[in-house]
Amino acid sequence: MSSKSSYLTMAFVALGTFLVCGYAYGYGPMVMNLLHTSTDLADVLITLLVFAMAVLAVALGADMAVVVVTGTIGIFVALTVQQPELVRYMTLAALLFCMGMYGMVVSRNAVRVLMSIELMLNGVNINLVALSRYIDPVDVRGQVFAIFILTVAAAEAAVGLAIVLAAYRNMSTVDMEKFTLLKW
Amino acid sequence: MDNYQFLQQWMAGNVETPIFYLICFIAIPLAYGVLFDGRIIRCGFLLIGVFGMISGIFLLLQAQFLAMAQLMIYAVGITLVVVIALMLTNPRLEHDVEPSVPQHQLPAAFVAVAAFLTIYLSLRSELWPIRSVETSLATYNVNQIGIKLLVDYALPFEFASVLLLLALIGAVMLAKADHSDAARSQEWADADPDYIDRKEENVVKV
Repeated sequence: MSSKSSYLTMAFVALGTFLVCGYAYGYGPMVMNLLHTSTDLADVLITLLVFAMAVLAVALGADMAVVVVTGTIGIFVALTVQQPELVRYMTLAALLFCMGMYGMVVSRNAVRVLMSIELMLNGVNINLVALSRYIDPVDVRGQVFAIFILTVAAAEAAVGLAIVLAAYRNMSTVDMEKFTLLKW
Repeated sequence: MDNYQFLQQWMAGNVETPIFYLICFIAIPLAYGVLFDGRIIRCGFLLIGVFGMISGIFLLLQAQFLAMAQLMIYAVGITLVVVIALMLTNPRLEHDVEPSVPQHQLPAAFVAVAAFLTIYLSLRSELWPIRSVETSLATYNVNQIGIKLLVDYALPFEFASVLLLLALIGAVMLAKADHSDAARSQEWADADPDYIDRKEENVVKV
C-alpha cells in the first residue's frame, strides 16, 4: 500500500469520525437550521455524505477494507444516535443480517457460507431479544423464541457441516464454484 | 464511584449507550473479517469474537440466560464444529484463492445495502410502544424462561428435543467415513458416460 493511499485512508477515517462525532454531539440540527432544511433528515444526509466520501476515497485509491469498515461504523453511529434504544439494537440486528446475506451469496468456500448463515441467525436473535426487553419485559416470549432459534441453528450447523465434509470426501474441494453436478 | 451509584446510572440508561457502542465497534469489524478474510481458518476464530460480542449485547438486554446459552452453544460449540470442519477441508491451511466470487459481488452488495436501508427506514418510522419496567434480576430471568418452556411452550420444547436427536443421528451418518468410495465411484462411472471423477483435478499441486 503506497503512502499516498495510506494518507488518503487516514484522511477518510479522520474526516468521517469528525463528521459523525460532530453529528452525534448535536451539531447536526444546528447545521440543518443554517441550511433552512428539516432536521429530521440530518442523519440521512450525514449517511449520504459519508457514503459519497467513501466511494470517492476508494476511487482515489484508499485501502478498501479500512474504508468500508469505518464507513459502515460511521453510518451506523450516525443512523442510530438520535433513535430510541430499541431502534439501535434492531439496526445492529439488521446490519448483521444483511452482512450475513451478502456473505452467503458471495462466498466461495462452503464453510464460509455456513458461517454467514450463523451471522444471519444471530441478527434475528438480537432483534427478538431487543423486542422482548422493550415491548414485552414481563413475559419474555422473544427470549423463548430466541432459545428455540439457537437450538435449531446448532442442529442445522452440525448437519450442514456434515454435508460439507461428505462433499469434500467426494470432490476433494469445498469451492462452491466447483459444485456443478446439478447444472445442465 | 461505588457499586450502587454505577447500578443507578445503569438503570437510568446512561451507561448503556457507551457500552452498546463499544460492543458494536468491536463486533462490526469482526463480522467483516469473517466475510472477507483471505485465510479461512482465521474467519473461524473471528466468529468466536462475534458470538462473544453478541453475548454481551444479550447481557445489556437483560437476557442473562440467553447470554450464557449463546456463549456455550455458539461461541464454544458451533465454532468448534466450524473450526474442525475448516481444518478437515483445508488441511494445508492455504490462503483462499479468492474469498468471493467476483461477478456476484456488486449485485449482492446492492441487495444487501437496499435491504438494510429498507429495514432501517421502516424501523425508524414506527412508533414503538416501549414499556419500561424495572430491570429483572438474573434468577428471575431464569425462572421466567423455565416456566415458559415447561408450561406454555412445552410442545415446541419436545419437538426441539426430537429435532436435536434427528440432527445428531443425521450428522453422524453423513460424516462418518465410508469405506466403499471406490466401489461407488466405479458404479457411477459405469452408469453415466459423462461422469467425471473430480478427485484428481482438484488436488492442489504444491
